[in-house]
Amino acid sequence: MFIAKLAWRNIWRNKRRSLIVIVSVVVGVSSSLLNDSFGVGIMNQMIDNLIKSHDSNVQIYKSGFRENKKVIDVIPGKDKILSLIGRFKNINGYSERVISFGLISSAANSSGVSIVGVRPELEKNVTDIHKKIVSGRYLSYQRNEIVISKKVAEKLEVELGDKVVAVGSDIRGNVSSQMFRVIGIYRSGISEYDNINVYVPLSDAQQMLNLGNNIHEIAVSIKDYRKSSELKEKILAELSNNNIDKMLYEVSTFQELMPMMMAFLDVYQQWSYIIYIIIGIAVLFGVVNTMLMTVMERINEFGVIMSIGIRNSKLVKMIIYESLFMGLIGTITGFIIGLLIYYPMSIYGVDMSNFSESMASFGLPNIIYPKLNTIVIINTLLIIPFVTMIAGIFPAIKAIRLQPSEAVRFV
Amino acid sequence: MEILRVENLTKEYSSNGVTVRALFDINLQFNQGEFTVIAGPSGSGKTTLLNIIGSLDKPTFGKVFFLGEDLSKKSKSELSDIRLHKIGFIFQAYNLIPVLTNLENVEFPLMLLGMSGRDRKERALNIMEELDIAELANKRPNTVSGGQQQRVAVARAIVHSPILVLADEPTANLDSKSASSLLDLMEKMNAGKNITFIFSSHDKNVIDRARRLILLKDGTVVQDAIN
Ligand SMILES: Nc1ncnc2c1ncn2[C@@H]1O[C@H](COP(=O)(O)OP(=O)(O)O)[C@@H](O)[C@H]1O
Ligand SMILES: [Mg+2]
Repeated sequence: MFIAKLAWRNIWRNKRRSLIVIVSVVVGVSSSLLNDSFGVGIMNQMIDNLIKSHDSNVQIYKSGFRENKKVIDVIPGKDKILSLIGRFKNINGYSERVISFGLISSAANSSGVSIVGVRPELEKNVTDIHKKIVSGRYLSYQRNEIVISKKVAEKLEVELGDKVVAVGSDIRGNVSSQMFRVIGIYRSGISEYDNINVYVPLSDAQQMLNLGNNIHEIAVSIKDYRKSSELKEKILAELSNNNIDKMLYEVSTFQELMPMMMAFLDVYQQWSYIIYIIIGIAVLFGVVNTMLMTVMERINEFGVIMSIGIRNSKLVKMIIYESLFMGLIGTITGFIIGLLIYYPMSIYGVDMSNFSESMASFGLPNIIYPKLNTIVIINTLLIIPFVTMIAGIFPAIKAIRLQPSEAVRFV
Repeated sequence: MEILRVENLTKEYSSNGVTVRALFDINLQFNQGEFTVIAGPSGSGKTTLLNIIGSLDKPTFGKVFFLGEDLSKKSKSELSDIRLHKIGFIFQAYNLIPVLTNLENVEFPLMLLGMSGRDRKERALNIMEELDIAELANKRPNTVSGGQQQRVAVARAIVHSPILVLADEPTANLDSKSASSLLDLMEKMNAGKNITFIFSSHDKNVIDRARRLILLKDGTVVQDAIN
């Protein structure tokens, strides 16, 4: 206690110098907190957006379909699979999909697209394209309706109510075509999807491709996205339990569907560690430098307390306390300041629409909601105080190396 | 009873290849309760001798025995403990810790000895009362006069009841009145508590009050006499 009290008072001997150290810690802690919560917020929103725009959490296909997208590769025994999926708890829902590459043409132009046939009521539980309609409305159960993206609409130079013709190849490889009426235009914010996905009623797609009531894909949405892999394992286990040949199917989580995104996330994670290291090193040098100065200024005083008979361990403790206290004051203040800035931003969001055009292909939304997670909190609250403690060691060693007689004479 | 013996003590400093012999072949013996002044002109080796006696420095040749034990055989932390338990130091420039109050300065050795907060405070205040400085307890050292600071330093040096107090020119920064009252105090502690005092000085008034006077010149003892 006495040593701690002494250390505490020593910090305030040279207020300006200590404040410089403390302020640098404050800036380091609050900026790394904000930087990280921004990163986490962006990543979460991007993943969420990708999941909700199309990918869903877990998808099931016939083996090989994901790779080759052959129309003929429909899900074998889909009714059995659907009834298995329907029994899972903790899922938001699932959607039956038919997917086929084709061409869509208007009087003015044509565009290569992925024609996605869905049951509107099921699809609404999995994706939120129905919430991203910028004009018109989402699919109902009427025939020959099509929802296209704003981008495709612009390319085809069509408006609501206009007719377009979709051309594809059916299950036997014959060219087939069907006319649709544009009833809705959407914008998902992910250019990869906006460029390619058009939505039609499931039955229309099945008819056009001569699929009967077969489908290509079951997309499952889950409440907690972190449990996607768990769900995949459960589905595979259920297949085995029901004596269904697992090899016939491919079950993919969203992580497997977006390897680029996951790699990007990984890189970001590494990057934020690098930021921590940079901030840590900057704080380390600042504290070491300051503590060395205070040790050099107090050589005489160290000599006196050494003559009184202080043990090296206590002297080291005193100096480490001094740097640790500065680190703690800075960390706590920086954390509070960071939180004060963070909270309103996490509630109201930060408008990034100036950047969103270039970031849209990554699924970055216009408004970013920063998000603090426990790892960020633990990192910021522990790393810097630990670093300042380490920073105290070098000056402390310098102090205990002093020869008491020389130190006492030192003025 | 002998508490301290110095045998064939020589101390050389070498810096930049030049060797300075600060002390040469000193042999001295001190008994408990002595009140000794080491006198001599500036540069004669007084500080060097006190530092070596107090285990703050090591001799180049020769040995120091404190309470029968050879200090050269002790580790750094053993020497710290010997100083903490048995020796008190008073310096010319008072050398109180500026961020602590006078009371806390006096408590400092007791804290290092591991005494509890309350006992420590009581003991420190008692000593300060004895030295007539209790009213300075809660002030910071730099807010009181030099004479008062040196009294606080005396209190700090004796609060843990050491056997030996070493004082390096304790009156050099004081006016003659403060100096003589500080000497009164040290005499009182010497007589009342049987604490052995060895201090250095080149002040005539101080030297006159010594009961044993050791005169140093160029690092050797030229006189050792009982007054
Ligand atoms: N650290 C040192 N390095 C070199 N020479 C020193 C050192 N300390 C003292 N001396 C020399 O030793 C001699 C004795 O010094 P000191 O013990 O301080 O004498 P006094 O206290 O009597 O003035 C002087 O010549 C001084 O210059
Ligand atoms: Mg001297």
